Amino acid sequence: MRPSAPTVLPIWMLGLALVAQAQDRPTLAFRGDAAAVWLRQETAPGVVQQLRGPALGAEARVNYGPFALGASLLEGNLDVLGGLASKRDVVEGRVLIAARALPWLEVSVGPLLRAYVTDSTTERWVVWQGRARADAPILTTSLTSYVEVWRALSSRVTFPSAPLSAGRVQGGEAGLMYRPPRRPIWLRLAYRLDNALLGGGPGGSETLEAVSLSVGIGR
Amino acid sequence: MRFPRALLILTLALAVARPRDAVAQTARDLVTQGVRAYRALEYDAAVALLKRSVADRAIGTLSTAERAQALTYLGATELFRGRRDSAALAFADVVQLDPRYRPDELVFPPQVTNLFQEVRQATKTVSLAVPPVTEVRARLDRFTARVFTSSLADVAVTLARDDGTPVRELYTGPVADSLTVTWDGFSAGGTPVATGRYVLRVAPRTAGAVAPPVRQVTLDIEQQAADTLPWPPAPPAPALLPERTPAGPAVRSLAAGVAAAAAAIVLPSVMARGAGGSDARFAVGAAIGVAGVVGFIAQRPGRPLAANVQANTLQRDAWMRRLDAVKGENATRRATARLVIRADPIVTADRGGTR
Repeated sequence: MRPSAPTVLPIWMLGLALVAQAQDRPTLAFRGDAAAVWLRQETAPGVVQQLRGPALGAEARVNYGPFALGASLLEGNLDVLGGLASKRDVVEGRVLIAARALPWLEVSVGPLLRAYVTDSTTERWVVWQGRARADAPILTTSLTSYVEVWRALSSRVTFPSAPLSAGRVQGGEAGLMYRPPRRPIWLRLAYRLDNALLGGGPGGSETLEAVSLSVGIGR
Repeated sequence: MRFPRALLILTLALAVARPRDAVAQTARDLVTQGVRAYRALEYDAAVALLKRSVADRAIGTLSTAERAQALTYLGATELFRGRRDSAALAFADVVQLDPRYRPDELVFPPQVTNLFQEVRQATKTVSLAVPPVTEVRARLDRFTARVFTSSLADVAVTLARDDGTPVRELYTGPVADSLTVTWDGFSAGGTPVATGRYVLRVAPRTAGAVAPPVRQVTLDIEQQAADTLPWPPAPPAPALLPERTPAGPAVRSLAAGVAAAAAAIVLPSVMARGAGGSDARFAVGAAIGVAGVVGFIAQRPGRPLAANVQANTLQRDAWMRRLDAVKGENATRRATARLVIRADPIVTADRGGTR
């Protein structure tokens, strides 16, 4: 799917206008991630490639009242677990604009770019995502669980060796955040899954999973 | 013809006008004429006129002061007629009538005033004076009665219900000339008297022929209830903090943990049609679930909240202090009930009853 300017532009303009109207002073938040990543690619029925490896990531976020603007980067090395795949690096970048519609609900939108890089080829994904995240406190504000789901508004994939195109792309994340009292830092444990259906041929899918442990600072 | 007609009209007018206030005018006229005769040294005429003025038929037509004045002139006239006993009797009547009365020394010569003084000393009598209407706040104000005696007398001033039930003894002891007796509206039991009819009585403490008569007055006492303050409202439940942890937060914590844990576990099934599904997600789900259980235990229902209990205790104590203050104020107000005291005319009574 190709992102359409008439779809995305109003969302950006609306977000910028809401940010401009916000009265609070902006705050900054940073997060560092250490993750274990699993990739499962099924390029054709019965043709499955599985890879696994560590990844490190980071996110910076500017919060302005109920709105936020953020960017994140994840980079890891995946080794082959099974199949005929070769080891590859994964690089994922994401930009988001978010608004807290309710005290417990945040919605966001933004592009996600992901690349799987081998020694010879690069598989690139460009996905415009719409996300919704619900927070549920367990112990007041110090211990919070959350669930986040997303779906692609548009997506585009470039396969160097196969004539496949992107189909439905969606995913979710569930996690736990701990904010020590009177400390600016916080910890996060999360499980995340991205799934994309591949079209244009006999069909297939690509699933990326990650279990991450994160340390953040700021709110 | 014209003159007899005018005379007839005048006669008729006099005949019509004459009966009005005839007795009162006559009594006063008789006193005036008697005093005039006394000054003209026409003692026989003066005695006749003055005796007629104070005769029983004329009682009530003269005020007490006018009657005392008439009797004094009568006594003086009798004295100058050489009838000392008759003079003493007249003066004794004056003393009985009003122990405070004294002949004017500018009008009567010393032999008259001296005899009057002798008679006054010899005549034991007592009188009582009370205001017709008095409003008092019990304990704070005083009802005042004045007792007058012609000479030293040992008396008891008491208050009783009209059925004879004693209420309070106000004074016991000698009275040389006059005495002011006050009453705070309380009975001997220390409570304000109830609405009803009471008798204020001045009686000699010694019996005998020379003892003064008993004077009493009936008091119609009405106790008017004092306005009391309403009790302060008890602290309403919403104003008090919960003293035990409610079930809601604990259940919400557990639900949040369990829901997020379940989401982590079922994500592959929901989002990827079962593809993927690393076992690591179970570890994450378990961690989230354990956190939910910990949250539930940490906020388990029914746990006492010491800070709230203390805050509520302070609120309740403050309310109790306000309540006690209002109760105290109301008790004071009830104890200081307003009494409206209306006095009947003063009467002379036998030792056992009214005469």
